Amino acid sequence: MSDSILTMRQERSSLDLRKMVASERIVAGAIIPVLILLPLFVAGSWTYALGVCFANSIGVLAVSALVRYGGEVSIGHSFFAAVGAYSVAILETRAGLPLSISLPVALVAGVLCGIAFAWPSRRLSGIYLAVSTMALALAMPEIIVNADTWTGGFEGLYVSKPLIPGIGIELQRYYVPLVALAVVVYCLSRLRQSRQGRALLLARSHPAAADAFGTRRAWARVSIMGISGGIAAISGAMLAFASSAVSPTVYTFWSSIFLLVGSVVSFYGLTLPRALIGGAFLTLVPQVLSGSGAWIPVLYGLVMLVVILAGHYGPQLSSILFRRGEKR
Amino acid sequence: MDAQNSMLTAQGIALSFGGIKVLQGLDVEFRAGEVTGLIGPNGAGKTSLFNCLTGAYRPQGGSISFDGRPLDGLSPAARASRGVVRSFQTVALCPELTVVENVMMGLARNYHSGWLSAFLPLARGRREDREMREAAISALASLGLADAADLLPSQLPPGMQRLVEIARAIVGKPSVLLLDEPAAGLNNAETRDLTQTLRNIASPDLVMVIVEHDMDLVMSICDRIYVINFGEVVTCGPPQAVRTNEDVIAIYLGSEDD
Repeated sequence: MSDSILTMRQERSSLDLRKMVASERIVAGAIIPVLILLPLFVAGSWTYALGVCFANSIGVLAVSALVRYGGEVSIGHSFFAAVGAYSVAILETRAGLPLSISLPVALVAGVLCGIAFAWPSRRLSGIYLAVSTMALALAMPEIIVNADTWTGGFEGLYVSKPLIPGIGIELQRYYVPLVALAVVVYCLSRLRQSRQGRALLLARSHPAAADAFGTRRAWARVSIMGISGGIAAISGAMLAFASSAVSPTVYTFWSSIFLLVGSVVSFYGLTLPRALIGGAFLTLVPQVLSGSGAWIPVLYGLVMLVVILAGHYGPQLSSILFRRGEKR
Repeated sequence: MDAQNSMLTAQGIALSFGGIKVLQGLDVEFRAGEVTGLIGPNGAGKTSLFNCLTGAYRPQGGSISFDGRPLDGLSPAARASRGVVRSFQTVALCPELTVVENVMMGLARNYHSGWLSAFLPLARGRREDREMREAAISALASLGLADAADLLPSQLPPGMQRLVEIARAIVGKPSVLLLDEPAAGLNNAETRDLTQTLRNIASPDLVMVIVEHDMDLVMSICDRIYVINFGEVVTCGPPQAVRTNEDVIAIYLGSEDD
């Protein structure tokens, strides 16, 4: 291809994209050792909060994956998280099974629930699908309370079995969700490079073209809901493990809304830094603002606005600054 | 039936949306080894016919078959697996995929590694990916686009995006190639290159059908041309016969009665 074909602007946008990907990799590379060493330097309450933050970051990834690969928004993902959390809790309480066994079960249960929801709703999209997912979130607390023989009702269940015997449970409640988050991020990065991931992206942007090249729309919808449901179930399982308990108050409609908020403030990113930003909005920001009394909702909204505006205008601003730097 | 006799036929195709009749009992026959043109004014039903052939639309009447095997009732994906592929009137590339990844989508139906390969670096998935990438690069190279492989579609001018679509269509070695206005948005030099490219793509076992408004391209490359108006075939024949057909001249230039 001759040089004349590519304009300066096109070269710059390509450069910007590569720089963005490279910078996120650098940030992720810097964050991982910090997160590994952090429990050596911070108090137990922070390691507990960060463990919960990692679990919520996985939930944010579940919503972001649905948006990125399915082009759809969910306001009901707390349902799938609850499926994962209660799978772990019930298997431990009833059968004495540790996380090493209950986590795969939770994953499969989440995937199956995602598929079971996606099949009848495969022709719905946009606001109609979003409202359908809301039905799941609204139903879940009632299901949990009414199935109290299994779920413990309002009181919930405890999750106390360590994954690896002999290592302090507090440390495990930090590191296990962190490892799970890293694994989910890795798997999602693999998905982007895979034939299935490419098919999902084409089906989202041009369904007719995807159809014409052998990717059925129904397959795409069911697949991404299954994947997203599975990731959300891992999130729920990790949340149960990190917080040591499950109860219906954790998996409400508002939990789903906050998962969506986390996804939006991370700009639907599927990288580790973006997932952590989303998870922090569910866990750390409320904790930091907890001393602000009645101002908490106002300050929370303000922080959210600042992050969204910074994310939206930040790249343009840095591009302008970059060009000024080049001129000098 | 050998490849020389491969034929895509549509008989009595009737398609309507509400009270509007788009195709009215259309009969067409596209043969392997030929490049067939499909021309007519805007709204004549050319793209609608493509949509019927690929399964995007379900006609209310008529039947479609390829190599004597009926395609009726098959989904677009199933028709694609039988080698019926197309390009689109408006470029339909995924903006998030690179050029080579978009072209690799033209091969996706031929590979079957499972979901585990999508999430983990398993040998089979990596091998398939490597094969797809090599084939896609080769298809891009045949259209002079190898250097654009790792760019995003938005970084290419519209004419080159159309070529990427053609690369995606041909990479899977289709039996039927339906090109919907491949020269739209191309300048004269690019159209000349495209004409040569399409000649190179044509082969004895390929059914190639082109919907196009650029008459120079159609007349220079097509062996046969169907002229469609108001969802009906006006005439069919070699370019010279079509060029001098009075009905065709009337459709394009208007008759003295108009």
